[in-house]
Amino acid sequence: MRRALAPGLVGAVVVVLVALPLFLTPYPISLVTRILAFGLLVVSVDLLTGVTGLPSLGQIAYFGVGAYTAGMVGVHVTDNLVVQLAAGVALAALFALVTGAFVVRTSGIVFLMVTLAVGELTHRLADGLDAVGGSNGLAGIPPGTVLPGGEPLLIAGFVYWWVLAVFLLGMAVALVVSRSPLGRAMRGVREAEGRLPALGQRTYAVKLAAFVVAGAVAGAAGTAWTAQNRFVSPGDLAFSVSAIALLSVVLGGAGTLWGPLLGAAVVIVVRDELAAYVAGYGELLLGILFVVAVYALPRGIAGSRLRRVPSVRPA
Amino acid sequence: MRTRRLAPAALLSTAALALAGCGGGSLSEDSGGGGDDSVTVGLVLPASGVYEPLGVDMTRGWELYLEQNDGQLGGRDVEVVTADEGEGPDVGVPATTRVITQDQADVVVGIVNSATALGVKEGLASSEVPLIVANAGADDLADGGEWVWRTSFTNGGIAASLGEQVAEDVGDEPVYLMASDYAAGEESIAGFREAFEAAGGTVAGESLTPFGTTSDYQPFLTRAQNSDAGAIYAFYAGAEAVSFVQQYREFGAAEDLPLYGPGFLTEGGVLEAQGDAAEGVQTAMHYSNLLDTPENTEFVDAYVEAYDAQPTTYAVQAYDAAAALDAALEVSDGTSGADIAAALGEVGEFSDSPRGPWSFDEEHNPEQTYFLREVEMVDGAPGNVVQGELN
Amino acid sequence: MGWLDANLISVLNGFALAALLFLIAVGLSLVFGTMDVLNLAHGSLSLIGAYLGVALVDEDASLGVFVLAALLAAAVGAALGAALAAMTSAINDHLRQALLTLGVALIAADVLRELFGSDPERVSAPAALAGSVDVLGRPYPVYRLSVVAVAVVIGLVLYVVLERTQAGAIVRATVADRGMVEAIGIRSQVVLLGVFGVGAALATLGGLLAGPVLGARPGLDSTVLLLALVVVVVGGLGSVRGALLGALLVGQVQTLGVSLLPGQASYLLFGAMALVLLLRPRGLLPSPYAHAGGHA
Repeated sequence: MRRALAPGLVGAVVVVLVALPLFLTPYPISLVTRILAFGLLVVSVDLLTGVTGLPSLGQIAYFGVGAYTAGMVGVHVTDNLVVQLAAGVALAALFALVTGAFVVRTSGIVFLMVTLAVGELTHRLADGLDAVGGSNGLAGIPPGTVLPGGEPLLIAGFVYWWVLAVFLLGMAVALVVSRSPLGRAMRGVREAEGRLPALGQRTYAVKLAAFVVAGAVAGAAGTAWTAQNRFVSPGDLAFSVSAIALLSVVLGGAGTLWGPLLGAAVVIVVRDELAAYVAGYGELLLGILFVVAVYALPRGIAGSRLRRVPSVRPA
Repeated sequence: MRTRRLAPAALLSTAALALAGCGGGSLSEDSGGGGDDSVTVGLVLPASGVYEPLGVDMTRGWELYLEQNDGQLGGRDVEVVTADEGEGPDVGVPATTRVITQDQADVVVGIVNSATALGVKEGLASSEVPLIVANAGADDLADGGEWVWRTSFTNGGIAASLGEQVAEDVGDEPVYLMASDYAAGEESIAGFREAFEAAGGTVAGESLTPFGTTSDYQPFLTRAQNSDAGAIYAFYAGAEAVSFVQQYREFGAAEDLPLYGPGFLTEGGVLEAQGDAAEGVQTAMHYSNLLDTPENTEFVDAYVEAYDAQPTTYAVQAYDAAAALDAALEVSDGTSGADIAAALGEVGEFSDSPRGPWSFDEEHNPEQTYFLREVEMVDGAPGNVVQGELN
Repeated sequence: MGWLDANLISVLNGFALAALLFLIAVGLSLVFGTMDVLNLAHGSLSLIGAYLGVALVDEDASLGVFVLAALLAAAVGAALGAALAAMTSAINDHLRQALLTLGVALIAADVLRELFGSDPERVSAPAALAGSVDVLGRPYPVYRLSVVAVAVVIGLVLYVVLERTQAGAIVRATVADRGMVEAIGIRSQVVLLGVFGVGAALATLGGLLAGPVLGARPGLDSTVLLLALVVVVVGGLGSVRGALLGALLVGQVQTLGVSLLPGQASYLLFGAMALVLLLRPRGLLPSPYAHAGGHA
């Protein structure tokens, strides 16, 4: 039922994305940069929520580990963005492995709440740790370089290209995994959950693998966030960010990866850009968007068939 | 099939070409504004989230000054672009980026949240746009660097101003310290402790309460009551200050432990919500709307007439930010960020501020008088009555 | 003043907090248990209750005025609950329910901000219950003691209705198997509407009663929603006894726990929840009638 994305379309989108800095002025470019970093976080949420059927409010924890690791490496070790990316992804994946070992034993609403707890505890840890700047956040991160000894990236368009590279890498990992045997097993978990709760060890391993991959992707998104802002604060790890990320998945169409990405873009544009015209009412616009979307787009932007939606209408 | 696949690609290419028509590009150094004689000010204040009440007061203070000066600062026309700072850096940093890149602001004014201020500091410096901080109190924010100026306070400075006074009041008895568990609270406690101990005071204990998530202070108040303290020093603001002072009263701490703190504890709408529960609370602050000076009386009258509300310290900080920018533009060679930053160094003393005379010190923080205020009922409503000067 | 005395005050205060949490959270739990709806606008219902307190109860309000305000809050809650039930009735997917109800919550938050401003507001206790009494040599607010009494009464009524009446039996049967109830000719839509109405009424009532303790301010809705979610998930979704146990546990964690481990105060609530859920994924006292209840 799911049509593979047309390679021509994907190619065209990539070409346009790469070419954007030639046309867009610094502010719109920084907006698209932000959408890509946040979008990659949302893709990681979708890997769990849509593909594996495990609704998560905790990917912000791994995003945060990636973002803070990149920042700490930038401040104390090297301004090389490749090193920051590698370190951020590695630590985020490790953290996902350690926490996931416990978390994936649950499912459904309980999974949702346990991941919420992981996210909130990480948020509060960042807030309380003076070594990473505490509640004031981690400032003083130098502009990054791509090649050793290269020029630091200060211009919006070049920062954008680096974030785009991280995004494309993360997106590629997500797409490859979701089409691999692991991806099939993840969908199997989604379909079987509830019906066959005792698939046992195999389900556990698949869920844990999915959790680690999603954690790594979220970590990559975090390093991209830091590369753009050169600042990380506990506010970036707030519950509201997790909630918006999860709802972007639903808005976009869970399980399709590209749908949630569009959802993320719509959410950021509505909340941060349209809201600039009605200062202070960003959340109101977002609320109206959500309510309208539930009725107007019953299958999300991607139009994909959501799990457990009864097929009242002929498809 | 093939043509159908190509259709979207063609569409997107067309869209890309259309975008190209917009011109621009983002691959070169961005030169800030400053090209002409008018000034673009980016006013970044919270219009949503927990700090919104401060944003409202500060916007009023800013607008009142502009109105009193016919919309001009330093004899130049001013264009104000506003952005919502939101609650934290996740909203405030992009909002500030927008006003300097998109709206080409020559100077940024505002910023309530310290984390946001620290988050935008470097970006502003590298864009050569000065920042006039009208609230955020992080101690290290203004450090004498070229681009950051502050018309508000430092967390440590306010706290320190109380040290000697409290030491004198409590005599031999120690004091229990309480604060919201985040940077501002820690700086406040550190600033107070240093000045208080230097004046011979002793500390009975210390509680840092989770920031933004504590609704019940009873466990902490009970610890203070069980210690041998003779008074409490507390740093709270906003809704936390309301709950804290109310519970301080309900659980009987008010009966034998006088409460001291920075003025945020009983400022503006917070004091209104506390009502008579706040009676007797003593705070240090650089302003009170009940300050009895001709400058302040005139300011309060104008403010009340314009907004039908009493001004707060936050409003005065923004009012004075406008005054500082006014003075700087008066002596400035031009309207670029660098011109304004240089001119801010030459403005001297502000002698007719509602808070009393103040000037920028060498770190670009305000050199000002702190007042000891006590909450008393004035015409049936609680007010911060000035008891005297601290320092 | 001994260690024991000090902590007894914390324990007592934990019961007062638990009473409020129970009133607010039990509706969330019942709605989930019977209707399979995850209502993220539940915190907004409580905040509406609190703001009704701001509007209707002034400083010298008599007990009668306060009771009237409480009844009005419950009526408003019931109406809003029915509206929410109608809005969510066609949506069976938990994630889309979350999208819808959170959207409603965001809209409600901004409407309340327009109406009541963004300054924190205090809700007064009725004059008869203002002030403090001496408990173990320390002043303790009378109002908080009264809240415990009210919650006990409401909890008992709920329990009796659910366990001892025919209406309660139908609700329990709906929790267990909605199809079965329909098969014997009872329109489950009516049952669901009723449960949502009662659950929402308890949330607004609880919000109003919590007013003199928690106040009313923007953002309180999400604070309360998170606490209520923790309460019902820890206790076990869909059961009154679960919500009660969850509320008692969260109340004590927030007071006695904080009193004993002040340095770890930030981590206690979510740490405790994670621990409980990893040991007992269905909560401490899951509804004996509910189906697996784990899917989303």
